[in-house]
Amino acid sequence: MKNFLSVWFIPQPKNNYRALLLHPSFLGLFIALYLLNQSLIKSFTIARPGVLGYSSEITDQKVFIQTNSERQKLGLSGLSYNSTLSASATKKAEDMFKNDYWAHSSPTGRTPWDFFKEVGYRYSVAGENLAKDFYDTESMMQAWMKSTTHRKNILDTRYQEIGIGVVNGVLNGVKTTLVVQHFGTPVNAVISHEKPPSDTAVVSQNVQVLSEISAPQISPVAISKTVGIIMFIFIIGVLLIDGYITLKNRTNRMTGSSAGHVGFLLIILLLLLFTRQGSIF
Amino acid sequence: MTIFKEIKQKPLEYFTLLLIFIIGGILFFVFSFDSHSQRRIIYLISGAYLSWSLYHHYRRGDLDVSIIIEYLIMVLLGIIVISSTLL
Repeated sequence: MKNFLSVWFIPQPKNNYRALLLHPSFLGLFIALYLLNQSLIKSFTIARPGVLGYSSEITDQKVFIQTNSERQKLGLSGLSYNSTLSASATKKAEDMFKNDYWAHSSPTGRTPWDFFKEVGYRYSVAGENLAKDFYDTESMMQAWMKSTTHRKNILDTRYQEIGIGVVNGVLNGVKTTLVVQHFGTPVNAVISHEKPPSDTAVVSQNVQVLSEISAPQISPVAISKTVGIIMFIFIIGVLLIDGYITLKNRTNRMTGSSAGHVGFLLIILLLLLFTRQGSIF
Repeated sequence: MTIFKEIKQKPLEYFTLLLIFIIGGILFFVFSFDSHSQRRIIYLISGAYLSWSLYHHYRRGDLDVSIIIEYLIMVLLGIIVISSTLL
């Protein structure tokens, strides 16, 4: 047993002075195993929808309040809520789910401005912010405020109205929440002073979705991340053992740079450990 | 070659590699929440690491297909794992 294990971890003549686990064929096996894990997650997501996914507590009311709060911090006037703009934002989110894309322009060539036109909102100036996979409104707003272009949209004094779409669905096989902010100033300069949506109104519109949200969910990204972290720690460990034994035995061999590999895997590991959930566009 | 021996023999090459990783890491965090840009940054780090390895082994005189494959697999592993967490 000891001999069997040593071939996998310790460089020796039997494994051509390189731990067997670091041979290209075995590294390839790690890739295959990881891809298998990804396929299983995806299959499970399709077979049992609602079990794997992101649970989100974002509501359009919270997004509206926090957007205006960011503006007020800088002494800017608040944006008025416009239900027509919210309709265009919701349509945009639904289109992203329907056509499985995550971008300002759809694969079929539809731009954000097409959604404004579709709902009959005629604007002199308009803008769009997108977010997905965030658990709460606060972290999503922080992400937008950290990005120059999104921050510019939120604080732009040319905009007078806002519409928000918060829609749940399946994107790339994963259940998630898409948030779309549509900003604009109507061409006729008549600003609507509609009441912003309340949480109750959202519940009545999305009863089914909200009941799914309240169910405990496991994020597929968290599973992928954990498997990736374990795999990288394991490979780095084997690389260090391999390097230490080679140093001890003063072996010369023709392989890739262990220092380089450890460095590359360490940086990937750090990125995996410190990336935060959520994406903006 | 061992890890420390390697670094001692070619400090400038390893310093360049460290710089690639540090700059890549910083850029990755600068573009937090922007998965499109983060994906591009990972491709850049991986591409730079691959180029570094080619130069490093060419200089060492042991550039071989098996070594190139080893680096390709390592880079592929990194790209696949990171990309799967950047939906």
